[in-house]
Order: sequence, then C-alpha cells, then structure tokens
Amino acid sequence: MNAVEIKSLTKEYGKSRGIIDVNLEIKEGEVFGFIGPNGAGKSTTIRTILNYIMPTNGKAEIFGLDCFTQSEKIKRQIGYLPSEVHYYDDMKVKELLKYSASFYNKDCSKKISELCDALELDTNKKLEELSFGNKKKVGIVQALLHEPKLLILDEPTSGLDPLMQNKFFELLKEENKKGVTIFFSSHVLTEVQKMCDRVAIIKEGKILNIESIDNLRANTYKKIKIELKNPENNAFDNFIGVVNRTVHDNCIEFLFNGQVDKVIKKLYEYDVKNIWIEEPQLEEIFMHYYE
Amino acid sequence: MVLYKREVIRNRKSTMLWTSILLSYNVCMLLLYPSMAGSLKDSMDIMLQSFPKEMIVAFGLDRVSMTEILGFYNTYCYLLVTILGGIFAVLQGSSILSKEEDEKTIEFLLSKPVTRNKIITAKILAVVTNIVILNTIISLISFITIELVKNESYNRRILLLLFIAPVFMQITFAAIGFIISIFIVKARVNFPTGVGIVLGCYFISIIASISSKVDFLKYFTPFKYVDGANIITKQSIEPIYLIIMAIVTAICIVATYIIYNKKDIVA
Repeated sequence: MNAVEIKSLTKEYGKSRGIIDVNLEIKEGEVFGFIGPNGAGKSTTIRTILNYIMPTNGKAEIFGLDCFTQSEKIKRQIGYLPSEVHYYDDMKVKELLKYSASFYNKDCSKKISELCDALELDTNKKLEELSFGNKKKVGIVQALLHEPKLLILDEPTSGLDPLMQNKFFELLKEENKKGVTIFFSSHVLTEVQKMCDRVAIIKEGKILNIESIDNLRANTYKKIKIELKNPENNAFDNFIGVVNRTVHDNCIEFLFNGQVDKVIKKLYEYDVKNIWIEEPQLEEIFMHYYE
Repeated sequence: MVLYKREVIRNRKSTMLWTSILLSYNVCMLLLYPSMAGSLKDSMDIMLQSFPKEMIVAFGLDRVSMTEILGFYNTYCYLLVTILGGIFAVLQGSSILSKEEDEKTIEFLLSKPVTRNKIITAKILAVVTNIVILNTIISLISFITIELVKNESYNRRILLLLFIAPVFMQITFAAIGFIISIFIVKARVNFPTGVGIVLGCYFISIIASISSKVDFLKYFTPFKYVDGANIITKQSIEPIYLIIMAIVTAICIVATYIIYNKKDIVA
C-alpha cells in the first residue's frame, strides 16, 4: 500500500493561485521530498491532504483512508510539523507535550523524554518565553512523540541552528530505519539531497517532475561570476558544462555543471579581478532545467 | 473530554474575575437595602415621582417597588447581572472558537486525531459551564445576603426565577457570539462587535418600553425576554420568550457547526 496517494488534487483560491491537478504517490518507508519556490503550492498541498483546507477537486488517501472523510483516523498515525509553530502561551513545554500525547491512546512519556534529551529542550520553560528555534524543537517532539507511521514536515529546519539541523536529521534517519515514511517540503536543496529517496518539484501550483535524488544530484550547478580586468567577450563561450552564459561589461556569469577544476584551470588564461562561486537558488535551476 | 477540561481550566481566570466583580457589586448594593427600605423609604418614593415617566417605565419601576427586596434586587442587581453577564457570555462565545485561529494554535489542534465537531462541542460545553458557574456563585451569595438584609418575607420562587433567567439569556448571547466568531476571527474586531450587540440590545429594550408604538421591539432583545419587572409581576418567565431564546440559540449553534466544518482554516 502506498503511504500517500494524491490524485488530480486541485485547490482554487479565486484570485490567488492554489494547486492544479497534483498527482503524487509516496511509498511506505520512503523519504520523499517536496521542493519548489515560494508560493508554489507546497503548503497548500500539505494542508489540503490534512483537511485544513477543502479541495476544489481531486482525491487523496493516506494509508488507504480518505483524507477528507476519515481525517481523524488518519491523524492517529501521522505526525505533522507546520512551517510556523504557534502554541498556547499559558502552557509550559511539558504541559503542551502531555496535552498533545493525551489525544492518542498510548503512553508517550518515555518517547517524550528521549526526544527532549536528544534535542536539548528544557521542558520546564513557558512556551511564550521560547525562542523560535526552541519552539520548532517543541514542534518536532509533538510530531514524533506518538510514534506515527508517517511524518509530514513543512520546512522543518527553518529556524534551527546547523547543529540542531544535524541532530534533527539524525532523528529522522532513525525513524526512517524503523519504517516510518517521511514527507517533507523544503527550500534547501542540500538537505533534500541528503535525506530523500525521491523528490517532487512543484512550480506555480503544478507538479513539474518527480524524480529520484540520484538524477537531481547529477544535475546540480554552481553559479559562477567572474570579473575580468579587460573585457573578454569570448571567455568561456562554448565551454563544456556552461549554461545560461551572460556577459555584462567586464563580468561573465554562468551556471556550471561539471568539474570545477576545469574552470579554475581555464581562469589562468585571463586576468581575473574578482570571482564569485555560489550554490544557485532553486529558482535558477528550475529556470534552466525546465525551459 | 480532554478538550473540554482544558477549555474550562484555560478560561478560569476570566470567569473568576467577572464573577468577583458582579458578586462584589451585588453584595454592596444589597447591603444598602436596609437604609433604602427603612429611613430613606419615604424620601425615595418622593424622589421617584419627580423622575420622567419614561425612565420609570424603562427601569420597570412602574410595576415593582424599589423599596421591596425583590424590586430592589431587580433595579440594582439584576440589571447589572444581565448587562455584564450578557457581555461576559458574548465575549466567551465569540472568543473561544476563534482564538484558536487568531492565535494560530488551530494548526496544532487540527493535527491531532480530533474532528472539528468535537472541538466545537467541547468549547460550547465549556462556555455553558462557565456561565452556569458564574451565575450559581453570584446567585448563592446574593441569596445569602438577601436573607441577611431582608426585613420582610418575599417569594423565594420568584427570586429563583430571577437567578435562572439570566442563564438562559446569557446562553443566547453566547450562541450569538459563536456565530459572530465564525465570520469575524480577529479578537480586536469581534470583541467590540459582541459588546456592541449586547449594549445595542439593552438600548432597544429601553426604547421598547417607552412607547406602545414600538412595543414590538421587545421581541428583538434578550433583555426583554428576561425582564425582571415582568418576571416579578407575572411570577414566571413567559413561555414565548423561552421559545425565542431556544430557537435563536439552536439556529446559531447549528449554523456554527455547519459553517465551521466547511471552512478553510488558514492560520
């Protein structure tokens, strides 16, 4: 059985764009990434299958249960971490976690203390006193404490420091080893590359492509900008691996896919004044990849 | 059950605050009764005659006497129990559901295995509980105070009606609060809206008593449904009013369930 099956899911918002004809299948035990630019429809898709918002059209099932009529049953088996976490100001961390656990018919206290230790979360603090990152940690714990079979995470690492991000991914890996399916949306290509088996790319409400991470890995680009002392209109023209080459005054800008060493060796031929090498924005990859 | 308990506990400070205010006010007023009914009685009667007729009618003083214990309770205590109690109820009703969206905690709550119906039911029950708690405590203490300051016997059954009637009227206002909160989620807008509706209803009840031409307005304001002077003179709450309150409450609650289930929750 597929963990998640989404068929022709559409949500129209009237004026602003929602999602159009989204089709997705996530296998049990998979780590599935969901990437796309801001406003592409990642959160809309997730919130529709979780029955927060009503679909205009289409079907969705989680573990064979209908997302729109059997939502309560589904939620017994899933954990959700939204992109922005807001909790009740009057509660302490441990009260919220206990309250969260009370919705499931099982004793989660051991799991709660394990998770809080792993994430270094002080459970005695009041929720309104916590920093954004610490609130995010509370969110992670409340998503995991009832040992769900499916985790739905909307931009889970935003707000976490790099150390915590690593700890979080280790937690996810452990859960995945136990067979937990993970569905997460992200802006950050590197974490998607690290964790996922497959990835769906969404843009302007439509799924552009679903591919395995190995394919995506083979297509990562570096964005390179070189400022030369003298204008050289032919520099890096027809150079293998260069795409989207633009020339502006003394500067040459392009995306490069290949061995960086070849670029560096080529640079010896020129008088280089300045050089910038960056990981490109996701949008830039999309714009090339899906022209 | 978990939800219900949490809601009652969460609102306890507000409930206790409003209860204390109304309680203190009632007790202070009732402690003034002995002097009103005693030495000041004649001067009060004379002063009343100089008031404009409309005002006397509006406060029900043409039907009950301020110098008897029940009439005194009606004029000084009952008025505030209905006005402030009504405001308390409408604020409870209009905030308890919408604050989850306003404070964005609804994202957490809806991710739990719980239906929207269960959420609404728990919150309705919590509001009714708070209203009953408020009125029970106030009524109990007021009753004890009345027993202490009275200087004549009075009809205890009517007093009981004066204690129960505000509960019905406040539940009606709470239901109106619920349906407001479905459409107006932000606390800073639905609070003044709720208070405005309660005060508006009070003013309609005043206008309704001034002229027989606008007497029909009495069907449009819960203050007339549980009018204290009416209850005292008729020794009951008129059934037509009970029916109107029941219908209004039912319509608001059913509409709340239906619309909330179809709503997009966009935190």
